Amino acid sequence: MTDIAIRDLTKRFGPVTAVDRLTVDLTPGVTGFLGPNGAGKSTTLRMILGLIRPSGGTALIGGRHYADLDHPRRTVGAMLEASGAHPGRTGRQHLRVAARLADLPDARVGVVLDQVGLSAAADRRVGGYSLGMRQRLGLAAALLGDPPVLVLDEPANGLDPAGMAWLRGLLRDLAAQGRTIVVSSHVLAEVAQTADRVVIVHDGTVRYAGPLTDLSGPAGLESEFLRLTTGSTR
Amino acid sequence: MTAILAAEWLRLRTTRGAWLLLAAAQLIIVLGVSGLMLRGDNLADPGVQQQAVAHLGLVSLFTLVLGITAVAGEHRHRTVSDTYLAVPRRARVVLAKLAVYTAAGLGFGLAAAISALSSTAVWLTVRGETIQFDNTDLWRTVAGGIAWNAVFAALGVGVGALITNQIGAIATALAWLALIEGLVGQLIGDARKWLPFALGSALDRLPTATDGPAQWVAGLVLLGYAAAFTAAAVLTTTRRDVT
Repeated sequence: MTDIAIRDLTKRFGPVTAVDRLTVDLTPGVTGFLGPNGAGKSTTLRMILGLIRPSGGTALIGGRHYADLDHPRRTVGAMLEASGAHPGRTGRQHLRVAARLADLPDARVGVVLDQVGLSAAADRRVGGYSLGMRQRLGLAAALLGDPPVLVLDEPANGLDPAGMAWLRGLLRDLAAQGRTIVVSSHVLAEVAQTADRVVIVHDGTVRYAGPLTDLSGPAGLESEFLRLTTGSTR
Repeated sequence: MTAILAAEWLRLRTTRGAWLLLAAAQLIIVLGVSGLMLRGDNLADPGVQQQAVAHLGLVSLFTLVLGITAVAGEHRHRTVSDTYLAVPRRARVVLAKLAVYTAAGLGFGLAAAISALSSTAVWLTVRGETIQFDNTDLWRTVAGGIAWNAVFAALGVGVGALITNQIGAIATALAWLALIEGLVGQLIGDARKWLPFALGSALDRLPTATDGPAQWVAGLVLLGYAAAFTAAAVLTTTRRDVT
């Protein structure tokens, strides 16, 4: 059971404040991290993972900064929107590099390939993969360390309806094992069936955090989401 | 650290571009040696033979490009986030790449030496001459040429970490070698012999490097360049936001 505690997290890029004193706790189960494009979701996730240096505030995983984790890949698995793979390498080679880099046994590569249903295509070059297959490869990399925390930035991008259903099942299974899973999306419907709770971000601040069931106002879920994520607070 | 080194080595071996560069470098060497051997007169002259073998140093251009792809290639293919997630202490990533690519540059130089020596020997036989293996100058050029390949690979890692746009980094490096170093050289006069390509030429003992520093001095100063670029690369890499 590992929590992510975010306190007053702030990031300024020059004159633009992308994330503004964001405070929230992310606990075991699936949390939908929602907001329109440009709301600060990706920046927040990247600050949790130590890829972007905060201008202020902290993001701690089980009480520690990402860079201070003993085995980062065994603690947190991440799949970011911009995660890529060298097109000339096969899926299996890509994961073997990732496993070696994180000091994980080679045997994990076959396990995660099975887990994401990519075994049949594992020895083909990534350059020939569809977007959906790349997403599966990204998920496989995130799962390599069998981590208690998963941070997934727009994992449903490029998946067909069958792929979406598969992803929902996978996330539910992983959450049932007590993992803390954060899934970002700009489409409410994508996470509505999977998330135990949602965090809605707009203009770099939290507009709502709590169970999905408490969110639906008199006009319904979708319009409540739209109401929270349009207009400026500043 | 051994895990990172192993990962970088695997990454390098599974990159087709590296093997293509290696193959292209051998072709260039054979081409250069052939030109000299086909048109040259006094091929029995040890100086001419050394000049032919010295082509092995010129392919350090390829190891420079290879080194650039070490970090800049990760930005281009957007694998850099994953790499830093596995190894949050980014300086270790840069140093592991430096070690692996310098070793690769050394291997590159060895292959280049074999190509240069064998193609020179073959041409000399064709022209009814023999290569003089007891010529010390020949072996100094072989050693210097291999070192040039290795140190330019190291330099490339630094350049690629500083200029993370791969196309921009390669274009800058090639422009430097083809044009800018010459122009800067005109500005600074005698000090031009301390610029990277001039130092490489002295290290390889190219005929164009007559007024350059001694071979070992050139090697040391090039190592200094590589160290300075690496230090700058580590500083910027650890501070940079990866978006």
